[in-house]
Amino acid sequence: MQITEIDGDLASCHSGGITRTVNLFIFERGVLKPGDYVLVHVGYAIQKIDPEAAQLAWETEREMQGAIRGDPNA
Amino acid sequence: MSNQRARQLLDQINTLAPSNPFKIMNVCGGHERTINLAGLRSLLPGHIELIPGPGCPVCICPEETIAMAIAIALNEPVVVVTFGDMLHVPINTARGEPRSLEQARAAGANIHPIASPLEARTIALRHPTQQVVFFMAGFETTSAPTAALIAEGIPDNLLLLLAARRTWPAVAQLLNRDQAGFDALIAPGHVSAVMGSDEWRFVAERHQRPVAVAGFDAASLLAAICSVTQQAINGEATLVNSYPAVVTPSGNRHAQHLIDQTFTTVDSRWRGIGTIPASGYALKKKYRLHDAHIHFSKYSAQSHHKDEMPPGCDCAKVILGKEPPDHCPLYGTACTPSNPVGPCMVSDEGACRIWWSSGLHKQRRAKQA
Ligand code: SF4
Repeated sequence: MQITEIDGDLASCHSGGITRTVNLFIFERGVLKPGDYVLVHVGYAIQKIDPEAAQLAWETEREMQGAIRGDPNA
Repeated sequence: MSNQRARQLLDQINTLAPSNPFKIMNVCGGHERTINLAGLRSLLPGHIELIPGPGCPVCICPEETIAMAIAIALNEPVVVVTFGDMLHVPINTARGEPRSLEQARAAGANIHPIASPLEARTIALRHPTQQVVFFMAGFETTSAPTAALIAEGIPDNLLLLLAARRTWPAVAQLLNRDQAGFDALIAPGHVSAVMGSDEWRFVAERHQRPVAVAGFDAASLLAAICSVTQQAINGEATLVNSYPAVVTPSGNRHAQHLIDQTFTTVDSRWRGIGTIPASGYALKKKYRLHDAHIHFSKYSAQSHHKDEMPPGCDCAKVILGKEPPDHCPLYGTACTPSNPVGPCMVSDEGACRIWWSSGLHKQRRAKQA
């Protein structure tokens, strides 16, 4: 879910048209900011999501697969 | 992108050829659900077998703790709150006694299903003159929020009946046996998000088995399956993170700090498996006034439960990855989600329930016809 607003240890988060209040106590204050994506479990944000890390891993994997197959466009 | 990636990974896995049957275990209900919903078993080469392992905290919750929750709910002027699927988990009892929290509720006990530890606090604050007992069964992903609930300021009238378990000691126990029953491990994504992927390094380093952390979409699972299979073919065993958007080597340090501040690690019983060293969390002494195990210890002393599964139920074998759900003679006959015999058919994270909900009962029926 993406954080839209933070008030103390509570955040308003949205995902796919759903808005929910999520507890941020499992993070130190100030670590999370509006715009961040978080993984939510039983009402708490349990980890920050890094979409760039996922994209990077996918691209690296594709390059490696291309290299294995000798694909020059990989 | 995800579909394209999944297709590429499937193609790649299909070009890999382990010389022997290759068994890959997962220890997470979420993984098992994706495997079934995406139909991964039928898409993979026949020699790659995906096995569900101990991935359901409700299924392995000791009978004696459930019996204690039922006794407290029936005999004390309290409100018992617990995650919804726990209400229906059956235990072995003498004829005529409630076999589940749901039956205790029907007999007049004050029991409420909740979806979050935060609801336990809300109910406790709403009933300040009444004790509220939060019966919590969960792995690290739920233990961290429960630790947060306590650290944030727990109401005086809120007690915890903990059945919190740690995932990796159960895997270590399987690996320490003569026959672990699997060749590689898909490590749980959400547990690793909290505790860090490094927790699973021992699988590769001490037990020479490939291990990959996976997320919950088919592509992430296929990346993990591809990785462990490729490793096995290369004769390697390392830890790979196939869920890098969420999982880091060290996890959420603040969550681990909260867990350390709130719980001590204890040897714990797993229903159908027995005692596993250092596999559970108990409340630290400073929170003993909130510890339902201590406060209501008389109900624990009375318990004669041996933590066995109901008669005829093969849940213990299913949880240990020794048998797939549809090998249980009761699967789809005497045992269905509307009339569950064992805990694996009750919980959303139980392998029997997941297989059944994905339509695997139809195959069984067809086989019988
Ligand atoms: S099908 Fe039912 S009885 Fe058989 S192992 Fe699963 S839960 Fe137990």
